[in-house]
Amino acid sequence: MINVQDIRDTARDLLAKGEVRAVIGYRRGSRGMLAEPAFITSPEQADELVWDPTCFHNLSLYLVHDRKFLDHIRKNPGAPVAIIAKGCDARSIVVLLQEHYFKREDVYIIGVSCEGTGVLDERKLAPHLNGAQASNAAFDGDDFVFTTAEGEKRLQAREVMADRCLECRIPFPKEHNAVFGEDKAGRQMEAPFAALTRFEEQGSGERWDFWSHHFDRCIRCFACRSVCPMCYCDECVVDSITFPVTTETTAEDKANRVRWIERSAVRSENITYLMTRAMHLAGRCTDCGECERACPVNVPIRLLNNKMEREAREQFGFEPGASIGGPSLVASFLDSDPGDFIR
Amino acid sequence: MEKILNKKHIDDWIAALDSWDILGPVLEDGIWAYQPVSGAVRLDHPNTRQSPKGLAFPQREIFFKFEQIKGEAPRLTQVVPDEQRHAVFGVRPCDGRGVPRMDLVFTDHVEDNYYQARRKNVAYVGLACNKPPGPNCFCLSVGGSPVSTDGLDVQMTDLGDRYFVKAVTETGKGLMTAAGKLFAEPSAADQKQVEQVHADAVAHPQRAVRNVEAVPAKLKASFKSPLWQELARACIGCGICTFLCPTCHCFDINDEVQSKAPLKGIRVRTWDNCQFPDFTMHSSGHNPRENTGARLRQRVAHKFQYFPENFGMPQCTGCGRCVSECPVGIDIVAVVNKVVENAG
Repeated sequence: MINVQDIRDTARDLLAKGEVRAVIGYRRGSRGMLAEPAFITSPEQADELVWDPTCFHNLSLYLVHDRKFLDHIRKNPGAPVAIIAKGCDARSIVVLLQEHYFKREDVYIIGVSCEGTGVLDERKLAPHLNGAQASNAAFDGDDFVFTTAEGEKRLQAREVMADRCLECRIPFPKEHNAVFGEDKAGRQMEAPFAALTRFEEQGSGERWDFWSHHFDRCIRCFACRSVCPMCYCDECVVDSITFPVTTETTAEDKANRVRWIERSAVRSENITYLMTRAMHLAGRCTDCGECERACPVNVPIRLLNNKMEREAREQFGFEPGASIGGPSLVASFLDSDPGDFIR
Repeated sequence: MEKILNKKHIDDWIAALDSWDILGPVLEDGIWAYQPVSGAVRLDHPNTRQSPKGLAFPQREIFFKFEQIKGEAPRLTQVVPDEQRHAVFGVRPCDGRGVPRMDLVFTDHVEDNYYQARRKNVAYVGLACNKPPGPNCFCLSVGGSPVSTDGLDVQMTDLGDRYFVKAVTETGKGLMTAAGKLFAEPSAADQKQVEQVHADAVAHPQRAVRNVEAVPAKLKASFKSPLWQELARACIGCGICTFLCPTCHCFDINDEVQSKAPLKGIRVRTWDNCQFPDFTMHSSGHNPRENTGARLRQRVAHKFQYFPENFGMPQCTGCGRCVSECPVGIDIVAVVNKVVENAG
C-alpha cells in the first residue's frame, strides 16, 4: 500500500535539489472529497499532495500544456517537470514520447501503482451514499473508505471503481523514474474489453439505435477532446480557426472555406466529430477513461476508443504505450501484418 | 392565487393542460434532463444536468434558409420558431432566476426576435428547494433564495403528500385555472406549514460567495492579477461550465452550406463559449485572451462584475453546475472568494 508521505518526500526532495522545476500531482480541492490537479513549485508545498481514489485525472495532459506554453514563449524547458502517473497515465506519457512530443529527459515520472484497486467512478458512488456527501476518500486494501457526516462508509473498491479500472491489464507504471506501490499485474476484475464485448453482442440495428441516441445527445462542449492528452493538435478538425487567413484571402474564400464539421450539434456533425476523434486515437489511446469521465451528458465515448484499441491489439498485436523505442501503430509495417482486406 | 394540490392529482393537472407541450425532469442515461412528458411527471429530481435555458435559447437556432439557382436572384426563406406553448415543470429557483437575466440580454439593447418568439411561449413551473439539492448550491449568497419566485410563472412547494401551488404571473394563473377543480383552498395549517418549510429552506447551510456587493469593485481592481492564471492552471478549455450555465448566452452565427450546386444552405446560431481558445482568436492569429487565466477571468468577471455594472445584479444564480461538473475542479465560488481576498 502506498504511503502518501513517501510521494511528498520525493516531491520535496526533487524540488529542494532543483532537479525538477515543478511537480504535477494531486491535492484536495474545494469540492468535498475530490482531488484536483496541483502544480507545485516549492518544497514547502509538497505536503499539499494527496493520493486517494479520487485521483482519477490523467495529468499527462499538463505536460502537453507545458510544452505548448514553452513553445509559445520560445523558451527551453531547462529542468524537467515531475509528474505523478498511474499505469494508464504513464502509458500516455510513453505515447507522447514515442511521438517525440517532448524528450524523456524533460519529464520525471513519479509512478504510482493502482495495486489491488483503481480509481473511483463518482457516478457509481452516489447511490451508495443515499444523498450524503463524502468529505474524504481513502484506499484500504481492496476497499475504498469514505468519510461522511453520518460516519465512515466502507465499500469494496470493485463496486464503485471506474469501468476501465475493472478491465485494466496494466495497473503498474512500467516507465518511471521513481515508483510507489506494488506491481499487481493480472489483478483485472473483468476481462479486457468486457464492456465492449457485451455491447457488441447486440445486432447492428440495436447498435445503430444506441449510437444514434448518443450522437444526438452530444452537446459538443469538447470536454472529451480537451481533457485528452492525445488530442494535442494545434489545429483540430472541428475548430473554425483551421483556415489560414492572409492578406490575399478574399471574403469569398472565407465564405467558401471547407469546414469538415459544422458547429451545429446535430447527429451528422457529432458523428463526424466523435468518429474522427476515435480514429485519431487508434494505437494511441491508453484507456485512461478521462473522456468518458469528463462528458457532462454521459456519452459512452470509451466504447468507441476501446473498439479502436482492440482492433490494434487483435490485428497488429499492438499495445499503446508499451515502449518508448517501439514504433507507433500507424507508422510501422510488418510482413506479418494482416493484409487480407487488400483485394 | 394560492392553492393546494394533492400529489395524486398532478398527472390530472398536466392532462388538463392539453394545449401545452409539457416538459418535466426525466432521469435517463444517468442524468436528469427536461424532456417531454405525457401523463406522469416526477418531481423528485435534484437539479437537471442542463438548465432549461435552451427552451428560449436553443443550442441551435436556424435563422433562415438560402438558395441560389444559377442566373436567378438568391432566395432567402426565414425560419420562424413554431407557436407551440411549452410548460416546463420542476424548475429550480436558481434556474427561474436565470430567465429574467436572459430576458435582459435579449431585450435590453437588442430585440432578439427568435429569443422572444420562443420565450413568450414558455411557462416555467417552479419547485422550491426544501433543502439544497446539490452540494455546490450557493443561491443565497448571490441574492437568490431556495424559495425565490423570480422568473417563475408558478411556484410549487412540496408539503409531503401535497403541493402548495402559487401563481406568480397571469400565465401561471391560467395554468392553474385550466384545472381549477383539482385545486383546493389552503387551510390556515397549510399556510403555516409552507411558511415553516420556506423558513427551514432558507436556514439550510449553503456554500457562499462572500459579500457579493463588494465583488465587482474587487474584481475590477484585480484585472491584472497573476492569480487568474494560477487559478486557471488546471483549466482544460472545454465548454462544460458555460453550456450548463443557466445564464451564459454567447453565440456564434455561421452559414452552413448543404449543397454547392445548386447553392443551398442555412444560417445558424449556435451556442459559443468564452472558454474555448478560439473564441477570441483573430484571423491574424493574435488572441487577446491568450491563456486560460484571461479566459477564466472573463467568465467570472462577466458574472460578477460586468453584468452587475450593466444591469445592477450578479448574473450568476448560484446553481452550482459549473462547480460540480468541471472535470478538473475549477470552482467559481472558491475563485471569486480567493480573488476578492487577494485584492485586500
